[in-house]
Amino acid sequence: MKRILVFAVISVLCLLMVTGCKKKDDESSTIGNVTDKPINITHWFWADNPDYSAKMQQIATDFNNSNNMNIKVSAQEYPWEGGGYSETLFTAAMGGGGPDTAAWKLTSTPLFKANNLLAVLDSYIDKWDDKDDIESNLYEVMKTAGGSDSIYVMPWNTQILYVYYRPSMFKDANVAVPTTYEEFLEACRKLTRDTTGDGKTDVYGFGMRGSTGGQEPWGSFIYGRGGDLSDFTTTQAVAGMQDFINLFKKGYVPPTAPTDGFNEIIANFKSGRTAMTIHHIGSSSGMVESLGDDVDAFPFPAGEKQWTSMGDTENVIFEKCDNKDAAFQWVAYLATGKGQEEWCKTTGNVPVSKRVQALPEFQENKFMKVSIKGAPYAGIFPILDTTTEWISTIWPNTTAAALAGNKTAAQAMQELQKGLYGS
Amino acid sequence: MERKQSALSRFLFLYLPLTLILLFLLFPFYWTFVTSIKPEQELYGRVVTYWPRSVTFSAYKSLFLDYNFLHPMGNSFLVALITTLLTLFVSSLASYSFSRFRFRGRKAFMILFLTNNMFPTVLLLIPLYAIMRNLGILYTPLALVLSYTTFTIPFSVWLLNGYLSDLPMSLEEAGMVDGANRAQAFTRIILPVLVPCLIATGVYIFMTSWNEYTFAVMFTNERSRTIPVSLKNLIGQLGVQWDLLTAGGIITIIPVCVLFFFAQKRLVEGLTAGAVKG
Amino acid sequence: MHQRKGGFWPYLLLAPALLVVLAVVLIPAINAVFMSFQSYDLRRPSQIGFIGFDNYVAVMKDTLFWQSLLRTVYWVVFGVGFQFVFGFCLALILNKSFRGRGVVRSISLIPWVTPGVLIGLMWRWIYDGSFGVLNDILMKLNLIEDPIAFLARQDTVFPAVVVTIIWQGIPFFALMLLAGLQGVPGELYEAADIDGANVFQKFFRITVPSLQNTIYVTTLLRIIWVANSVDVIFNMTGGGPAYASQTLSVYVFNKANSLNLGYASTMSLLLTAVLLLVAVPYLRNLFKNQEA
Repeated sequence: MKRILVFAVISVLCLLMVTGCKKKDDESSTIGNVTDKPINITHWFWADNPDYSAKMQQIATDFNNSNNMNIKVSAQEYPWEGGGYSETLFTAAMGGGGPDTAAWKLTSTPLFKANNLLAVLDSYIDKWDDKDDIESNLYEVMKTAGGSDSIYVMPWNTQILYVYYRPSMFKDANVAVPTTYEEFLEACRKLTRDTTGDGKTDVYGFGMRGSTGGQEPWGSFIYGRGGDLSDFTTTQAVAGMQDFINLFKKGYVPPTAPTDGFNEIIANFKSGRTAMTIHHIGSSSGMVESLGDDVDAFPFPAGEKQWTSMGDTENVIFEKCDNKDAAFQWVAYLATGKGQEEWCKTTGNVPVSKRVQALPEFQENKFMKVSIKGAPYAGIFPILDTTTEWISTIWPNTTAAALAGNKTAAQAMQELQKGLYGS
Repeated sequence: MERKQSALSRFLFLYLPLTLILLFLLFPFYWTFVTSIKPEQELYGRVVTYWPRSVTFSAYKSLFLDYNFLHPMGNSFLVALITTLLTLFVSSLASYSFSRFRFRGRKAFMILFLTNNMFPTVLLLIPLYAIMRNLGILYTPLALVLSYTTFTIPFSVWLLNGYLSDLPMSLEEAGMVDGANRAQAFTRIILPVLVPCLIATGVYIFMTSWNEYTFAVMFTNERSRTIPVSLKNLIGQLGVQWDLLTAGGIITIIPVCVLFFFAQKRLVEGLTAGAVKG
Repeated sequence: MHQRKGGFWPYLLLAPALLVVLAVVLIPAINAVFMSFQSYDLRRPSQIGFIGFDNYVAVMKDTLFWQSLLRTVYWVVFGVGFQFVFGFCLALILNKSFRGRGVVRSISLIPWVTPGVLIGLMWRWIYDGSFGVLNDILMKLNLIEDPIAFLARQDTVFPAVVVTIIWQGIPFFALMLLAGLQGVPGELYEAADIDGANVFQKFFRITVPSLQNTIYVTTLLRIIWVANSVDVIFNMTGGGPAYASQTLSVYVFNKANSLNLGYASTMSLLLTAVLLLVAVPYLRNLFKNQEA
């Protein structure tokens, strides 16, 4: 009896392995560059909501039907997971698998590049007809991110942060749209009000993001006092941090700020708990849906210096991809072709293609206008191999300690400096 | 008088604690459900409502019509079921060996199994991915089954070993004196008594594999996606799709509960069955 | 008779389980030991190389490591402790007969069935400082005047996540102990009834001793599981604010995700060592009971 059982178990295990190996053979035979067979490209992406997910599938289908090289793109959705997407991608690529092409964030570039996982795109871009449809400084940004003279990523979308505000609340509190950094801080104070008369604050001036991702709006404060992101320990940068802390200490932002992430700042703004918050155009359609006309935007105003964060999404081709020419056709379709148009229309992201930018629906949108206004002084965080960890754990935790008063602004900035630059 | 007191004690020792514990256990579930049928404006309203003023089931509809939610559910079910059966089979053999034999290396093996549970899964990911890829089972349900068994087997071996050690050895010895051999004693006497424990362990394995995310996101693609990954896909950079997410949660919870409703009867029948045969 | 050696049989029975565990886990585990002696940071693959005990020294000097370790102790003691107490109560109740027992049994499993993704988010939503239902309830009961930002305050965040893990773990103990209760012979209780024992005497003199091994094993396994659990804390707070809810396993998870695998391996080996130390008295008792 037992002998039979044991035998059964062992044979099941053997069977698993045999069927497994057989599958592998099938898989490898379908790759290969035979002309009468389709060229398969696996593309990974994340979607911010189910509509975007459906859109990406549709773009892939359109591409498959319209390209004349018989390229078949299979789009695979992976959860964004607060950035966990990049780790999933990395694990797969290190394990020898993973996709041929993938949607991308610049911050991951150093890690993948250091492990030689990404294909260099310079030669493809140089030969590309649409090369000049993308602003040349964008290519420069992509190069800087890789830390070399080569381009590893293909531009796709940008999102420029700006300030959302509620015109009705500005009117009630008799505040004008701020044009300087000082006025902005002043507006945070004035807009913090007790509207019901019970002695408790029920509208806060500003919806501060203290959890992961909050470093982006925070950067604007550092520049507001004349600091910059190359050295957090300068007196100007520390003064900017002090402003940030003061907003919390004086109660001009909700007490939940240290853990507020995207969801919370948007919910607070939509529900009228906050009068201003900082985010990009991606959230505008939802805002209009709940607030109608009672939402508008202005660029983060200039103080000593002016800066706003540019969010980015790109596409990359992996080194292990067997058909890089075909893969390039696909990422090019996303960058300047119909894919770009469709995706930006659905998501509201700022197109990188000048042709698409010029389309009327992008020119007439008020949020798009503010985004484009911010573009000249928009920047990205220094992209080093420490950046991902700095963004996901060091910045939120250090800032939370500073907000709670456990650390002074100077101490916190020292720690942030050490976390990003190592000294 | 006596009846009254027993009603009081029944209240004190049964209904009161039961109500309190259930309240604690079920309230978040209730809240999930309420969230799933609330329109968004009410979710972020100034007043917290305990039952939505306007009920909407649109999230449920779109989950089935637009997102084909049944597909990942089917995958999850398949993976969880195979994992459960395989694990139960393999680990009842192993735990029987641990509890009824005293062999060289026994303690070392037991500690090995225990240590296995202590090792964090994040560090296993890259090597496991490479193993799955080399076996060629990446993106098939088998990859998940194999990776889940690595932690369900050691766990179940220990659990079953605990139960087996509490079972009076005399049961089986009596059977063997009657002339049954060890295998017969196991299948006829131990196994029936063990049924409740097997059910409990099986439920444990099922739940863990049903809810696992870290391996699932690595070893599945669009075709073999399981529930936790599909749920997580509803959370993007632009926030949480509350209605869809909570509705998805409710949909995944209910069938498992119904399933368990039928399984739980066996939780009490075990001993009686065993006692009759012994 | 039960001291039987059994020749090759025990090994044969063990083989399938061992095969899976060794083939899949052992190699990565040994690999982790090697990594802990290396500067193994995948962000800097060119610098990978042996550095002796440098990682261990760095971990020992890392105040965050000690903080997180201490927090893990609280996490386990309170988390598992309350899970066990409530779970045992629930098991005893569910073992009695009353109307609708089957339904109650299956719905009491709900916290366990709930996907981890949803647990973190739902509780975050319940604790929310602006729209959270917990604040609303406490305010309606006049226990507090202003909403508390439970997860944003360093003093409340950790108790808040502990409550969540307690909630999640009660069904485990309830189910496991309920199954164990079925093995307790009914005659023992009948005999005690004749002796006039009260409820508590019966509980401590019959129920607990008969379930001894089950209790040892379930608590030990649960301690290990809870000490290693990441998803609840990760989904609720990510370990913040200001690391106030970071346990060691969350710290390891964060380090491993930023791909400093050498450092992460070192910490996880130390955590494993601590857990083994905790397991020793359990194992000793368990082995003693089994030899007897």
